[in-house]
Amino acid sequence: MSLVSDEHPLVIFVGAGGVGKTTLAAAMGVVSARAGRDTLVMTFDPSLRLKDALGVGQDAKEHAVRVDLEAAGELHASLLDARRTFDRLIERYAPDEAARRRVLGNRFYQHLSGSLGGILEYMAVERLFEVAADGRYRQVVLDTPPTRQALDFLEAPARIVGFLDSGALRVALRPWFDESGRLKATARLGGLGRRAERFLDEVVGLDLLRDMAEFFQAFSPLYAGFRERASQVEALLRSPKTLFVLVAGPGEERIADTLFFARRLQQAGYRLGPIVVNRVHPEPEERAPAPPATGLVDGLQLLTWLGERDRRGLVQLAQLLSEAQPLVDLPLRPEEPTDLPSLGDLGAELEDRLGDWSRRLRREGRADAGGSG
Amino acid sequence: MDLAARLGRLQLLVVTGKGGVGKTAAAASLGRLLAAAGRRVLVLEVDPRENVHQMLAVSPSGGAIVRAGTRLWVQNLKPGQVLDDIVRERLKVEMLARRVLASPIYEQFSAGAPGLKELAILGHALRLLRRVGPPDAPQLDLVVLDAPATGHGVRLLAAPRLVSEVIGDGPFGALAGELAGFVADPERCGIVVVTQAEEMPVEEALELREALASQLGRQPELLIVNGLFPPLPAGLERPEIFDPVDPLLPPAPPPASAELPLEPELLTFWRHRRFLQERELERLAHWWEGPRVELPLLALERGPALTEALQQLLAAGLASGAAGAAGAARAAGSAGAAGTAPGAGVAAAEHA
Repeated sequence: MSLVSDEHPLVIFVGAGGVGKTTLAAAMGVVSARAGRDTLVMTFDPSLRLKDALGVGQDAKEHAVRVDLEAAGELHASLLDARRTFDRLIERYAPDEAARRRVLGNRFYQHLSGSLGGILEYMAVERLFEVAADGRYRQVVLDTPPTRQALDFLEAPARIVGFLDSGALRVALRPWFDESGRLKATARLGGLGRRAERFLDEVVGLDLLRDMAEFFQAFSPLYAGFRERASQVEALLRSPKTLFVLVAGPGEERIADTLFFARRLQQAGYRLGPIVVNRVHPEPEERAPAPPATGLVDGLQLLTWLGERDRRGLVQLAQLLSEAQPLVDLPLRPEEPTDLPSLGDLGAELEDRLGDWSRRLRREGRADAGGSG
Repeated sequence: MDLAARLGRLQLLVVTGKGGVGKTAAAASLGRLLAAAGRRVLVLEVDPRENVHQMLAVSPSGGAIVRAGTRLWVQNLKPGQVLDDIVRERLKVEMLARRVLASPIYEQFSAGAPGLKELAILGHALRLLRRVGPPDAPQLDLVVLDAPATGHGVRLLAAPRLVSEVIGDGPFGALAGELAGFVADPERCGIVVVTQAEEMPVEEALELREALASQLGRQPELLIVNGLFPPLPAGLERPEIFDPVDPLLPPAPPPASAELPLEPELLTFWRHRRFLQERELERLAHWWEGPRVELPLLALERGPALTEALQQLLAAGLASGAAGAAGAARAAGSAGAAGTAPGAGVAAAEHA
């Protein structure tokens, strides 16, 4: 199988924090552009040197910038910034200047972007939809946010739609306060409901409720457009043409995490492509003696121990996955690739490993070698 | 003053840092260390996937407070559950409580209100310390909080002030105000930043330091630099193999004679790792004011043995910091072939 394929115009790299998603996404971008395909890499939080290599600065938050890569296809890169995207959305959907200012100036909105269940993650996907819709690129590669719950962003569109459709919004949109700023009686809810609501008001505090209510009132003209977009983003993520690459750290202790991600992706109906075990320590030439109880060893013994640990992890992971699940490993490099040539090498190596995997599967007589090969 | 004693006098120790740098291991070993020093300690984890129990060899907490040793407990906290408990506590009528818990406003509010989750976490710690929480909870002196990753860590600590600025009235606003005072008090609340000597984690640690200073006027008590490769033995270092501009130029062939059994590929790796880590350590030495403890990467799987080993190294590091041993950091992780070095050291504040 290959990631550089028109079967998968959108490839999304997912996995726990710190496993090398951003670098691999950039590496795949280079390889795709070299194959003559106009490619966009959307990334969250690249290291300074990776930013330098791609030539992305602040302006990449506003629009995609062209990467200075000599290749048959063009490589573009953009930086994802949740707040900017949200502000832009509001600018787009606000019917007039007053409505726009009311939302942007609301205190609740100002604290909201980081808090409202995954809205940060949602904004990433929203930006993705913008570029997917304009058809400029043959390949889009998306890096995903460095959250501890690395799959949160996938649920974000559904959660936002749910939130917008929920009773909470309708309740919030109902005028809560009379002219003098006091809570209106909520007679329709009956005695118990009134007490419950009063209790909420008491726990939550009136000022915050007032801010929230104001926000949702200000937001309501934007609601229809926003909701539709969220549904479309959801459909885009679930499209069979959208391929997820699960990047995992090496070592036995990461296996549970990897399986957890893989299962969640599949159960939720996303298309899981290859699992890439990244930064595997080199295989030691000879077995190491057992380390002392303190764990304190010199660098060679340490690397030998890490090499053995990673090897055990790979074997165990392979045993736990179905044979049809593409699984490849990439060696740890002395230093993380941060220039275009070394990113290209890394991307080419990933493609090689995927090709090897398909050939091995075919040799072993499996019918389905996982796509275009 | 002895750093360990200083940490032990606090009531809340917030351990934060970028994901994957060993925060949980650091929190667990700090917890053990302070419990061993006579404090009654709870290691509090906020992550739907439990990890701390594994580091302390107990069964998963499942939300409960679980005993993990002498004067040591662990708990995996679900912030939503804390809020639900407060609702139940305040609404004695079960039917009324159920009505509130099922209400869409409550559901959306508890999931989405800015700062609420953070307030619940800190509020829970404070309630336990004051014994106003669940009646069966143990008496505690100190809570070690294994906090969410960096960006979220600042949000956690800044939440009380933000919320108390936005909400003046109501019990929620009052709690926020009280917690803001607690977090701002260096006699009661301390911050430990965990990082690794790699570009992104160091970058985040420095940013976190900046954010804590500007948003909270606080300084971390301690920086733990985790996962260091040991320095190369004299004669094998040959730092000249690295071009100072581009360390990735092809390494020189390994030296002809050496005392270690040579695997050229591994030796190259060791050199590169250590070289890159030293570059980041220098950056920290330059920009990080305040105590640092450096911990070696250990050949141990995640688990109680690792926690115990880290506890010993931390204790040694904190103690040498007390002696004001600036520059001890250079010896950090010097397991050497003999494996006798303590392996941890503290660099005292150079600009303090």
